[in-house]
Amino acid sequence: MALLQIAEPGQSPQPHQRRLAVGIDLGTTNSLVAALRSSLAESLADADGEVILPSAVRYRADGLVEVGRRAKAVAAGDPLNTVLSVKRLMGRGIADLTLLGKQLPYRFVEGESHMPFLDTVQGPKSPVEVSAEILRVLRRRAEEALGGELVGAVITVPAYFDEAQRQATKDAARLAGLNVLRLLNEPTAAAVAYGLDRRAEGVVAVYDLGGGTFDISILRLTQGVFEVLATGGDSALGGDDFDHAIANWIVEQAGLSADLDPGTQRHLLQLACAAKEALSESGSVALACGPWQGELSREHFDALIEPLVARSLKACRRALRDAEIELEDISAVVMVGGSTRVPRVRQAVAELFDRPPLTDIDPDQVVAIGAALQADTLAGNGRDGEELLLLDVNPLSLGLETMGGLMEKVIPRNTTLPVARAQDFTTYKDGQTAMLIHVLQGERELVKDCRSLARFELRGIPPMVAGAAKIRVTFQVDADGLLGVSARELGSGVEASVQVKPSYGLTDGEIARMLKDSFEHAGGDKAARMLRELQVEAQRLLEAVQTALEVDGEALLSSEERVAIEAQMQALRDALEAQDGAVIELHTRRLAQVTDTFAARRMDASVKAALAGRRLNEIEE
Amino acid sequence: MGNASHFALFDLKPDFRLDLEGLAARYRERVRRVHPDRFAGASEREQRLALEESAQLNEAYQTLRSPSQRARYLLALQGEQMHQETTVQDPAFLMQQMELREELQELQEGADLGGLAAFKRRLGQAQEQLNEGFAACWADPLRRDEAERLARRMQFLDKLSAEVRQLEERLDD
Repeated sequence: MALLQIAEPGQSPQPHQRRLAVGIDLGTTNSLVAALRSSLAESLADADGEVILPSAVRYRADGLVEVGRRAKAVAAGDPLNTVLSVKRLMGRGIADLTLLGKQLPYRFVEGESHMPFLDTVQGPKSPVEVSAEILRVLRRRAEEALGGELVGAVITVPAYFDEAQRQATKDAARLAGLNVLRLLNEPTAAAVAYGLDRRAEGVVAVYDLGGGTFDISILRLTQGVFEVLATGGDSALGGDDFDHAIANWIVEQAGLSADLDPGTQRHLLQLACAAKEALSESGSVALACGPWQGELSREHFDALIEPLVARSLKACRRALRDAEIELEDISAVVMVGGSTRVPRVRQAVAELFDRPPLTDIDPDQVVAIGAALQADTLAGNGRDGEELLLLDVNPLSLGLETMGGLMEKVIPRNTTLPVARAQDFTTYKDGQTAMLIHVLQGERELVKDCRSLARFELRGIPPMVAGAAKIRVTFQVDADGLLGVSARELGSGVEASVQVKPSYGLTDGEIARMLKDSFEHAGGDKAARMLRELQVEAQRLLEAVQTALEVDGEALLSSEERVAIEAQMQALRDALEAQDGAVIELHTRRLAQVTDTFAARRMDASVKAALAGRRLNEIEE
Repeated sequence: MGNASHFALFDLKPDFRLDLEGLAARYRERVRRVHPDRFAGASEREQRLALEESAQLNEAYQTLRSPSQRARYLLALQGEQMHQETTVQDPAFLMQQMELREELQELQEGADLGGLAAFKRRLGQAQEQLNEGFAACWADPLRRDEAERLARRMQFLDKLSAEVRQLEERLDD
């Protein structure tokens, strides 16, 4: 794929000038970008002061792409064109999608590489392209905040991400015009965020409980070198399960029938999620669902989630065994992910490791912050000898198919990267002149239980009796966890190699097309694009205000207030007609100003209602 | 790639007795210099060289810090292929390993965590003994057979340790 590399304009070295580099946490639910500013790493906010960008992308019929809160808000109304949680689709084949649950609302079409494409109103979009949209927004945000082009980015991936998922992430960055300095495992990034501040030495456990996945990593920090000793986790355990536990309890208590319609189901989960969050602060929360009213105490909530917490602790003990580390050797425990705000989780982790976990960096931002620190170092801004070196491991074993459909491991899991390892094979038939190399990933014995990464052929082996040829297959995994495989017949020197393109990755042709598309998309007239963006923003605000007026105008506004808002809406509509960017911008800002108080009152009302357990849709429709 | 011996990479003389802490410190000091992260902005050639060098360093470190792998590597350095015989030619050890496996089986059936911990301790002691034995004989060409036998025993006990770990995992519910 070397042909497709993009030269970064910012890459010419300029001495004495800080080279701008960022850390990006490309998350399932939310994404963030962070950078080092005046020697402190911090998350960068958008124009509204928001740090978190919901990982939601909506393809609109008018050719525009919306990313973030707005896209997330309308997801239910336009499910086929709004992509949520695209991270779960990264590096997956059509066949894998059935494993991800049946209720994916998208229409899939197959691309030339058997990769699923989402069928949207703007045509087929691969998960890589969707992720690139998110990255593009974050890149723009960073360039605006930092005032220059980026040298590159460190992008974080879950430690359990396999080869295909990593490659897909890297491809997405490339599409977004980002130079990837390094793919960094999320737990490692979190440890860096704490490690640099503390200059500590010792063994660190990173406990990462997100919305849908749980990850545990054991790292050792010595003399500025961070070695990942082991990683593990449970890819089907997260804070969403806490919500389900509460929702099930409500169903039981309220005597609801088990098969609820999807609307009620979603309402219940929202209610449960709000209760969970409230219980992080208070000892009990009042709940109401239809005629039923009740109270959930924190104690009872703790009991509800106990089996889930226990599962995470079990994964911790397994990782400790893999790392050959005793509990008492752990010198710090780092908490990552919003779900670690749950007091019972903190308490259970503290009990297991016999020490209070570190929670002073926002668990939603700690990964991006660690990535930003590492990005700054990799961009060459570190003081010599002071930099932290991160040694990651490969999360899954890599190997080859051998006779009888068996997987022969060449590089076992938890091997420090980068690594190169060779294994010798031989021919099994007289006169055999070619050999098929089938590269696999996984822990199971049988080929059919492992993930197929690539197949390639070594041809031109001189004919010999069976067993006489000696074929050396070399696996090489780089620091990002990406694999290259080469094969060589030692007698004749015949050679073949592949940069492993996962079976479910994109073909070069597909990447070339996407790059072309993205250049066309981005390369248009700048002024026209700006006008379009202003129009979108104006329309977005108009729609939002209109809806709010219909729902809450009566209850929350005086008639004078309402008239003022409606007059400003008309002014903005007129400005849109006139297609003048500056005027549109002015009236958009004015409309935002006159509706500020209204927005605050609505927020208040909805929070009160949620806490009182009223149906949310009584307020929001 | 692969010309210098694993020991030479760390400025060490080939020996079985090894200060693991010292080895780790040397590894960190060296990997810091050659790791690809140090060459994130360098030319493709430099990046490739960094990748190869650190892969080689990692390989050497992994081999040397495991006693059984270190033992095999030392024997390989002496130039002779290890005999492809199995433990069948080592009847005393064959008996012992059958007994150990049976014992492990019983621990599994009885879900006996305390017993497993004791078993692990004994396994550790047995490994320690093999290490001592190997250290005493590997350098003597006349005791090559003995050294090979011990190296094979080490490897077997390594496998058994892995099985103990898997069992611990199954019992941890």
